[in-house]
Amino acid sequence: MRARWLWGTFTVVALGVALSAPRSVAEDAESIRFAPPQRIQAGSFIAGAGRNFPSPVMHDVDGDKRADIVIGDLDGRVTYARRNKDGSFAAEQPLRKRDGKPLKFHNW
Amino acid sequence: MGSQFVDLNADGHLDYLTATFAGSPYVSYGSAEGFSDPVRLVDAQGRRIIISTCWNEEKLTDENLGYAMPDGKPRAERCISAWAFDWDADGDYDLLLGSYENGHLYRQMNEGTDREPKFTGRNIPVLAGDKPFALPAGMTAPRLVDWDGDGDLDILAGTFGDYYGQKPGGGVYLSRNAGSKGKPQFGALETLVQPSAKGANDPTRPDAGLYVDAVDYDGDGDLDLVVGAFSMWTTRARELNEDENVTLERLRKQQKQVTDRLQQMSRATHAAATKATEGLAQDSKKYRDRWMKVYAEHEEKVIPFHRQLQELTRNIGTYVATPRREGFVWLYERL
Repeated sequence: MRARWLWGTFTVVALGVALSAPRSVAEDAESIRFAPPQRIQAGSFIAGAGRNFPSPVMHDVDGDKRADIVIGDLDGRVTYARRNKDGSFAAEQPLRKRDGKPLKFHNW
Repeated sequence: MGSQFVDLNADGHLDYLTATFAGSPYVSYGSAEGFSDPVRLVDAQGRRIIISTCWNEEKLTDENLGYAMPDGKPRAERCISAWAFDWDADGDYDLLLGSYENGHLYRQMNEGTDREPKFTGRNIPVLAGDKPFALPAGMTAPRLVDWDGDGDLDILAGTFGDYYGQKPGGGVYLSRNAGSKGKPQFGALETLVQPSAKGANDPTRPDAGLYVDAVDYDGDGDLDLVVGAFSMWTTRARELNEDENVTLERLRKQQKQVTDRLQQMSRATHAAATKATEGLAQDSKKYRDRWMKVYAEHEEKVIPFHRQLQELTRNIGTYVATPRREGFVWLYERL
């Protein structure tokens, strides 16, 4: 149950990526600060560039213990960009089904 | 479409769960050989799981059905996100369903097992504090993560905001779980990323349609945000020399050619679909299959033209003030 919970709800845990040391529960949203946002590069392009409502999720697609970026979109297409050893990302490629064709969800 | 990798059917392989603008959750089941064709999730009665509004693939029209709502009455709320979560800690996955309109969140309980799910078909509103969970700017998708490190799962969600005009864009929100195992209690929404005010001359942030995930991206021990969205900006105007004016004119001509070509392709596709379905009843499977086949082929054919159009618009924007909207994935590194 515990293993499934970890896989199913926050896959990065199972990927062995170091996760947050618990912060104070009392910490409120006003005290949470982020650096100015930066676009993520994937190969020669910016991840999700040109996609229609790109929706990323971090998940180890290729089993190398590094969280890759999986990107869905409004049109139902799914791509992923492998994370390299140095932390950069390779170019996006389609996530494929068992028959080798790109995975695509019906969106309308 | 938000996405979740989860072993929904407890076969030891991760499945791909999502919901789309069709108004229902879909799953592509994983196996040792890979992912299957996506299928729609159904409830214990065999009905498609919905919030209320959904696309009827047989009739090729939207319809509004109230069967899953608490009062049984239809309302303008479309399910566009789904998340599997063992709400009552009984060992199987229940479903969270998010609506586009008003960003409401519902749960639908599983009275079966993961291998033989029996979703009740009844949506129960999820509360945030003492009010129904709501993101009036429209919710993209919720994600459940242990944001505050207290051992339970909190809700992270992004909003759409105005993704065409200059009204405020989307943000990212957090609802902390202060409940116990099997009895989650989500708190009032807190803002993690303010809605975009827009007005920039460069893509400086995700502006509209923010889909969020949380991960320790840089390995420093805290959760960062990875956000996919449209950036919306207007490029700067500048003085052009003669050569640049010539180039601009050429780019605009090319832009018109590609736009005309796309319109021509749309007309041709409509004509082809009409011809392919001639004499067939509009509510027949044959009609739908043929219509969908023609449009699926069209979708693939137009991709390179849309890319070309984007590239031309991008280039034109380097010469004259041009409103731009483009999807990207961003990192918000937590400090």
